Amino acid sequence: MIIIAEKINGSIPSVAKAIEAKDEEFIKNLAKIQSEVSPDFLDVCASVEPEFEFETLKWMIELVQEVSDVPIAVDSPNAKLCADMIPFCKKPGMINSVSMEGTKVDDVFPVIADTKWEVAALLCDDKNGIPKTAEIRLKILEDLMAKAKEYNIDPSRIHIDPLVEMLCTSEDGINMLVDVMKEIKKRYPTIHITGAASNISFNLPARKVVNQAFVVLAMNAGMDSVILDPLNRDMRGLIYATEALLGEDMMCMEFIGAYRDGIFGVQKK
Amino acid sequence: MSKLDEVKELTEKGKQKLIADAVQGAVDEGVEATVILDTMIDAMAIVGDKFKRSEIFVPEMLMAAHTMKKGVAVIQPLLASGASTSLGTCIIGTVAGDLHDIGKNLVSLMIESAGFTMVDLGVDVPTDKFIEAINDTPECKIVALSCLLTTTMPALSETVKGLIDAGMKDKVKIVVGGAPITQEYSDEIGADGYAEDAASAAELAKAIIA
Repeated sequence: MIIIAEKINGSIPSVAKAIEAKDEEFIKNLAKIQSEVSPDFLDVCASVEPEFEFETLKWMIELVQEVSDVPIAVDSPNAKLCADMIPFCKKPGMINSVSMEGTKVDDVFPVIADTKWEVAALLCDDKNGIPKTAEIRLKILEDLMAKAKEYNIDPSRIHIDPLVEMLCTSEDGINMLVDVMKEIKKRYPTIHITGAASNISFNLPARKVVNQAFVVLAMNAGMDSVILDPLNRDMRGLIYATEALLGEDMMCMEFIGAYRDGIFGVQKK
Repeated sequence: MSKLDEVKELTEKGKQKLIADAVQGAVDEGVEATVILDTMIDAMAIVGDKFKRSEIFVPEMLMAAHTMKKGVAVIQPLLASGASTSLGTCIIGTVAGDLHDIGKNLVSLMIESAGFTMVDLGVDVPTDKFIEAINDTPECKIVALSCLLTTTMPALSETVKGLIDAGMKDKVKIVVGGAPITQEYSDEIGADGYAEDAASAAELAKAIIA
């Protein structure tokens, strides 16, 4: 499972406060503690007014790289700004994210065409917003993949976010999403499927258990990348266990290794 | 680190992909194949010990044993040309009526890792078949009987009795094991030895022929 660590995000109040106060240590510490539990990417999102976003994001990225070697997932609703951050990143990371909305794909794909950068892509576009049906989401997938092909971006560099919506207003649970995920993997076996797992539990109590149940079912449908709090020991353990149950962890060695590294299980004092 | 130390460490850590190169490296440095083999056997003894102390888990022990197998494959041609390096042959099988093989396979792998040549008769093995195999294998020193169910414990007892009646105790040591088996039960039915887990089985095998 590809883990995108979510804690450095200006939409989290404590992080917003740190950004406001230019609290370098706070940001660096978040990078440090998340890096210790082996994530694949550190998401960095400023979530500030557009006129300050370039400087803020650049400042955050540079701080993170002072203490961590983990590749960065540059996170902004402004895809062009994400691409503008590439020169400040020491190693190839992930653009989070593009979609078929506006010029996002055209702003990003040419820039990452001949690089090792990966990209998260949402299955929405200008016409349909967040599409209600699997058919439309898959149609947008094909639009995206046509663009990817045009810029020679291999499916293995793409993390498709099929759009996780809240469960409490859904009429069929996650069945449609499961269909979409399975079909994506069928069409592009090497592509990654990602998602913001915690979206599923908006407006429900005891969100944690809903998120956990979702991750297990989504992994079974093909999700192999996720944005979450990497320090969430229960979720990390559940993910390693699920991978083993799905036959993706020979002799449970990854599971045992992560346990030994203290990523989940009984916490050593 | 010397190549030999590397072989030891890689075996202990179960690094299957790296072992062949390390063993070849040791051979290239002029280390005797038998010394390399002994190093891996020592490493497996440490692995078995860690398993008994619950410091490592079954898959880790399995990985280490598989790693050793890959390492041995590299020196096999060198070993074959010299004097016999095997401690002897051990015939293993799960007794009649019992179809369990995971534990038996693990025991087999660990005894093999201790330096024995294994003959695995599989599961649901009748007494006759054990006797036949012992007679066909002059270098056989141990016969290891596995039994996982309380309902097949009588079959274990009968197998041991059958082996004794056929005079097999003159030829081989009979050792037993399996979840419901205890040292007391082993003594009661007349076996020569009992081990409670795969790591202990490897130690028992070495000790019983010493």
